[in-house]
Parts: sequence; structure tokens; C-alpha cells
Amino acid sequence: MNTQSKALTRDEADEFGRELDALRQEVIASLGERDVAHIRRVIGTANRSEAAGRLLLHFGVGPLSFVVGTSALALSKILENMEIGHNVMHGQYDWTRDPALDSRRYEWDIVCTGDDWRHSHNYEHHTFTNIMGKDRDIGYAFLRVAPEQEWKPMHLSQPVVAALLALFFQWGVGGHDLRFDELFAGKQTPAELGARARPFLAKAAWQLFKDYAFFPALAVGNAPRVFLGNLLANGTRNLWAFAVIFCGHFPEGVRLYDQAETENESRGQWYVRQLNGSANIEGGRWLHVLTGHLSHQIEHHMFPDIPAARYPEMAPRVREICRRYEQSYNAGSFARQLSSVIGRIARLSLPGTNRPDEATPAVPKEAATANPALTYLAATR
Amino acid sequence: MVSISQVGAAWRRAGSTLAERLFLDRQAEFWLGEFDPVLSLGEVRARVVEVIEETRDTKTFVLRANGAWRGHRAGQYTLVEVEVDGVRARRCYSISSAPEEPHVSITVKRVPGGRVSTWLHDKVRAGHMLRLGPASGDFVLPARNPDKLLLLSGGSGITPVMSILRDLAARESIHDVVFVHHARSRADVIFGEELSDLAARHAGLRLVLCTDDDASGPHGFDEASFATLVSDFAERSTFLCGPKPLMDRAERLWESVGASDSLELERFTQALRPLPTVGTADGVQVRLGRSGRNVAAKGQGSLLEQLERAGERPAHGCRIGICHACRCRKQSGTVQNLVTGEVSSEPDEEIQLCISTPRTDLLLDL
Repeated sequence: MNTQSKALTRDEADEFGRELDALRQEVIASLGERDVAHIRRVIGTANRSEAAGRLLLHFGVGPLSFVVGTSALALSKILENMEIGHNVMHGQYDWTRDPALDSRRYEWDIVCTGDDWRHSHNYEHHTFTNIMGKDRDIGYAFLRVAPEQEWKPMHLSQPVVAALLALFFQWGVGGHDLRFDELFAGKQTPAELGARARPFLAKAAWQLFKDYAFFPALAVGNAPRVFLGNLLANGTRNLWAFAVIFCGHFPEGVRLYDQAETENESRGQWYVRQLNGSANIEGGRWLHVLTGHLSHQIEHHMFPDIPAARYPEMAPRVREICRRYEQSYNAGSFARQLSSVIGRIARLSLPGTNRPDEATPAVPKEAATANPALTYLAATR
Repeated sequence: MVSISQVGAAWRRAGSTLAERLFLDRQAEFWLGEFDPVLSLGEVRARVVEVIEETRDTKTFVLRANGAWRGHRAGQYTLVEVEVDGVRARRCYSISSAPEEPHVSITVKRVPGGRVSTWLHDKVRAGHMLRLGPASGDFVLPARNPDKLLLLSGGSGITPVMSILRDLAARESIHDVVFVHHARSRADVIFGEELSDLAARHAGLRLVLCTDDDASGPHGFDEASFATLVSDFAERSTFLCGPKPLMDRAERLWESVGASDSLELERFTQALRPLPTVGTADGVQVRLGRSGRNVAAKGQGSLLEQLERAGERPAHGCRIGICHACRCRKQSGTVQNLVTGEVSSEPDEEIQLCISTPRTDLLLDL
């Protein structure tokens, strides 16, 4: 699985890219009612699940209704954040012209603001995927997730830091675009940070108010139960999102790029980098939906604005193309990918890079290029 | 003093902010829709109560709108939105019913290759839901009814003038009305039976049908025979809607007798003025502020076309400057309106992408 991809010449990479472009156009041409029906079905499930969860928490008695209610609420948050919010905000459903599915207007149920996300994720991370110094999603600028990253003493604590990040993941995501690290590096003044933080703080305040004041207050006598249920549901979503996202870019076999090697990158080379910077999780239909199809991280990085529910049917075709170009296609079970990530975070907390299976040079996790020439083909239907 | 209505408005604003921030609006909209697809917090939606075959290629859709519908004036149009294979599409249709009627009707001619009219004809049945925009348009009677009225139409252009006639009939105000309608054949006359009935019942209504299959009567529109048919046309307040050739010829006729002021027109195919020859957009940069992308404008055409050529997918509707679905805030730069020829450099101005063309670099809130 961790066999290294063959290094492609620019022409080979471009040919590889043309095949993926053809696949992309084929799927775009076939978008239609079934894609809208899918996302509306998921929205319906999330809404029903939230209503059921809140009713059970507010009016239920005893531990069973608490557990079921909390789980239903967690399920709705996971579906809303991952299959609905993340994908809608990528513009996967903009072609429908349905205002409820409009990437520019969608706001999701998490402390991260839609606007921050559209910048730090849709633009930065997806363009500069896995380029060191450009993709701030590589370890989120404080974790050492690849041996190419320079070791610093602060990395000694990263197993604990990563565990805390998992528990409070939405706060990590929410604060990501504020760039605290740039404040310490002197690239950002406290005033600039303050201005940047205002929308995030407002959103965070509303989120805290909603889950920990408004809904508990509605429940009157059941307030503590509702408070705790909301806390656990948010925490469950945090752990799940953390696990899925870390499996997407940080397992063994995923490589990082340095800025020099991605200069003047062609569209085909961009595709190659998306492939080598991502890893898939294998599983059934429900696993894919619950991960927002980030289990198809490779397809997602190649085609971020194609409705994610199409990735499972695209994957065999992508895999076949990769095989012909001798590119490794990193896929494994959830358990395998997650244990690989956990092991890596633990190992890389110590100095040193050259573990045997990490011998390939510069294999960072998440690299994307920011070549302005990489405008997507017009997807007008 | 703070008035009750101000307090009420402040409460509603606070309520909607709270609902939005807590995502309760989304939930409410969902559960309303589950209960009945026509229900909505703010959208105008309507249930189709009846579909009437008017002619071989024209159907009337009788609609019962929800509470968000604010009514219409005779002659106005509404923006109808349907979902065609997952994609929302909108078109403007004149309302053919009178405001006095309990339901709202639109009358739609099947346009060969037309996505929305084809969908409406083939797929929409009684019981289905349609989304509407608010009624709009200035093709309406003045506050005081004109003494002498001429309603002049051709083909499916009859729909807004029929609304006006039905409105007058409902108000018992048909005193001196001439209704001249052009169609290919008798069988193609939309509302033919109702027109005959109205003419029989109202002494003040003179009905003239010009159909190509009528051996005795006038054919099509030509200035000489029209002037003989309606010799006092220049003295009549006239409402005109029909195919472009008819509208153009009639407009010139009214101009030639100096009566343009008495002519009201409803156009659904906006005549775009040719661009000034110096005016290709080559080299103009359009910056999309929200998405952070830069688009190089090329060649002629509207901003909407320029953006689409560059791979953008801005929201739009009619593409002829009527529906405002493509409205967008221009933060800086100069655009020319393709309909009016007006050049504007106003900052923070709402423009319509489909009828604006860039004249300098632009910053758009897109």
C-alpha cells in the first residue's frame, strides 16, 4: 500500500490529468435530480434526527432516552457538518441554483464561520494541498505529522495536544483561520487578529448560547440533562471529525511537497499531488455518508466541487487510471488508517525522521498547489 | 415617539436574527415543507389547482398561492421557478387572470427547445408546487380608467392584455374598448371562446381577430389595414404585447402619428442595443470580491456571458433584464447598460449581470 508512486514527467502527469478531466466532465454532464434527491434526503435525516434527539433530551426520563437522544443529536451534527455543510460549501450543489444549497450563503452548525472555512479550506488547503509552508492544514501548524517537518521541543507534548484537539476539534477548526501562529511570528498585529477574530467570536457566542443556554433553558427542569447531552453530542462530532480528517491526510504513505517542486505546476501535476497527498478509508455506504465522503479523500481532492456522493462510483475509475500510471492509491480500513495516524503522531513527537518505511524523501501529508492556471473547467451544464 | 409598528418591526427583526443564528429558520422551513410543500416562511409558493389546455401549444396553470403572495395588478408578470432535473430555472410569465379572481393564472406557450415551458407543459399537473416571485411590471392601467382603450396583441402576448380585459369586465368597466388580436389561425387564438362571450355580453367591447386562415378578415398586422380597422387608434390609450416584429411595426406607426405617449408596451424579448464599436471588453479584469477570483473579460456581450465564458456560474434567470435574479453589487468600476446604453460609474451600485457590460475593470460582490 505504501509503495511509492512512480515519478511522472510533466507530459505523463498532463496525460494523467487529461484522463481525470475527462472523468470529471463525464460526471458533471450526468448531474441531475438524483444528486439533489440525495442531499435533500440527508438534510431530511439530519433534521429528523436533530428533532428526535432534542425531544428525547428535553422530555425524556432516564438514561436510555438520554443515550438515544444524545446519539441522535450527535448524528444530526455529524451529517450536517460533514455530508451537508462541508460539501455544500465546496459548491458541490451550486449548479442546482437552490438557495438552500448555495455555497456562498450556507452557514453550518459549528463554531467555525462559513466565510473563514471557505477561505482557509476551500481556497488554501484545496489549492496548496500538502505544500509545506503554504498548506496550513499540515498538522495545523502545531503538530508534526510528517518527518519532513522540522522537530521542535514543543512536539514532545503532541500526543496530549492531539488528544485535546480531538476533543475540542470544532474550536481548532474555528480558530484555524485566525492564524495565532502569525501573531507570535510577528506577521500579524494584535489589532489585525482582533479584527479577524470578530466574526468567529460572534459565531462562537451564538453557538455556545444555542447549545448551552437556549436549549437547556427551554427544557426548564431538564436543563442539566439537555446541557450535558449537547456537550456530549458536540464532543462526539468533534472526535469523529478529527478521526476522519486526520485519516485523510496524515497516514503513512501520504507525501508532502516543498514549495520549489510545485512551482509552475501544471494541472496534471496538481492532480498527481492531490492523489499523493490524500488517503482513503474503505468501508460501506453508511461510513461514506457519515464521513461526508471524506473517506474518498483522494476523489474529494481531485474533484472538490463534484457532489461527494458520486465519489464511490468514480473511485474504481480513478483507481484504474492510477494503476496505469503506476501511482499508488492509498486506501485502507478505518482501523488501519487511524492506527497509522496515531502511531505517526506518537513517533514524530520525538526528533529524527528516517524510520525505515518513511525512507522516501519528503513525504508530507497534505499538499496542494496554488497555480492560478488551475482554474477548473467551466462546469456549466 | 416610538410607534407600535416600529416596536413590532424591531421584535420581528430580533426574532428572525435569533432564528437564523440558532438555525431554527432552517428547521422550521423543513418541517413546514414536510407538512405541506406549499407552506414557507417567506417564499411565494403556489399549488397548481388546474391545468387548462387553451390551444394545441398553450396551457393555463391555475394556481393557489400561499400567504406570502401579495396580489397583482392586471397586466403584471411573475417569475416562475421550476426544478428541471435538479436545476432551478426561472422565467417571467404574465399573469392572465384578473386580480379579482380567487386564483392566479399563468398562461404558457410551449417554446420549442424551451426548458421551462417544456417542463411546465410536460410535467406539471394539478397538485404540484411552483415557486413564484412577487408580481411586478408597469404594464398596468392608470389609476383612472382611460375613456377609450385599445388592447393590441399577437400570439401568446395576449396574456397580460387578457388580464386587463378580465379586470375591466370584473369591474363592469368595459365602456369603449377595442381588442385587436393576431394569431396564426382561429384554433390558435388563446381565450377565443371567452373573448367571444365577453364581446357578446359587453356592448362596449369590439373584438377584432386577425388570423391568417381567415379568408375574409385582415391578415397579420399591416399599417394600412390596421389604420382602417381602428381609425381612431391614435386617440386611444393602447396596451401592446406580442412578437417583436409586431411590436416594432406598431411602435413605428404610433411614432409616425406622434402618438407614442399613448402606447404602453410589454416586451419579453428585450432589444439589446449594439455595443459601441470601441466597446469590446478585451483586457478588462473583473474581480469577484467574495470568491477572490479574477476573470478576464473577452469579446462582446453581457457580463453574465463574459463570466460564464470564464467558467463562473453566477445566479441568473431571464437573461434579458427582467427578473433581477442576476442582480449583483458592483463595488467599483464602470458598466454600460445594454438596454438603455446608460454608462454608470456609481460605486456600490446594484447591476444586472445579464444586461450590463464592463467598460473598465470591475469589482463585483460575487
